[in-house]
Amino acid sequence: MKPDARSFRIALVADRYVNPPPGGLDAVAAAVQAGWGVMQLPADDYPAEVAGPLLAEVAEQAEEFTRHGYGLVLVGDREGLAEALARTGVAVPDGITPDSYVQLLAFLNGRPAPAAARDAGRPPG
Amino acid sequence: MGVAFVAHCLLNQNSKVGDGAHCAGVYSPVVDVLRDKGWRIEQMPCPELAFTGLNRFWAVREQLDTAAYRRHCERLAEAVAGVIALRVAQGEDVVLLGVQGSPSMGVTVTSSDPLRGGRPEWPEGTAEHTSGEGIFVEEIRKALGRRGINFPRVAGETHALADHDEATQRAGIESVLDHGQGPGDGVTGAFWPAGGPGPSGSGVPPAGRVPPRAST
Repeated sequence: MKPDARSFRIALVADRYVNPPPGGLDAVAAAVQAGWGVMQLPADDYPAEVAGPLLAEVAEQAEEFTRHGYGLVLVGDREGLAEALARTGVAVPDGITPDSYVQLLAFLNGRPAPAAARDAGRPPG
Repeated sequence: MGVAFVAHCLLNQNSKVGDGAHCAGVYSPVVDVLRDKGWRIEQMPCPELAFTGLNRFWAVREQLDTAAYRRHCERLAEAVAGVIALRVAQGEDVVLLGVQGSPSMGVTVTSSDPLRGGRPEWPEGTAEHTSGEGIFVEEIRKALGRRGINFPRVAGETHALADHDEATQRAGIESVLDHGQGPGDGVTGAFWPAGGPGPSGSGVPPAGRVPPRAST
């Protein structure tokens, strides 16, 4: 069996960067290149009764990752996210609204190693 | 083109059970297919992550199939069904991409072993994979049924299966994506990757046990 390859790094990503328009910024591709996982935020045009439960689940999962020292960042934003995170006691992570793919990649690669990665003896990056 | 509802871990391998992450974060073999075909991605929540946590053991259906876990999955399934309903109402094609062999996210292969429990030791290679859906997928089926929505066509990431082959996995997903509009059940709902363990690669899952490679 191969060793577990997780990076302990997760980006909460606005839908417009997960499903970018033609020529738009593809944050999933940047996450692949930088070795980050992605948690997708609900599309901006979803009504509250659809987006609310999804944001609650994002927050609950973010709480579990935070409790274990995984690194979180926010790419873009989503109305209601801060409130959903607050209900679980999780602060809004450091974030970026990137102007370019290169800028996003530099942001992801420049983050410090999360506590969980250090505990697991993983090198940064 | 349409909307692919994908298992959480396909975009975030950090959610996997310990020793289960195949890569750092995004499992690109599946994402690449969706990008190439122009499909929209909708990531579903991971039912096991928030319920049993990051330190969970690998598990089979019988260990997870409790009333509390069912209620948890039902809640998540309602959230997912709300989005599927929105997309279906807009006339969009919908598929569900799960994780074959998973007790929660299996779409045609799940994990089952009624004897597993107690001290977490068992012979490596116990034949735990069996035809069927994972618990969360079952709850999504129920939630869509309550809304009168057909269950979508399905395909699965096959890393946990003994005969996993990336090219076969891609071909299987492409086959489901390309199948066109229509309900999953009775069309390709019981999808098995072409050349997979079904009889003569027939696209039909075999009855009974499936060779294992990994659990959750």
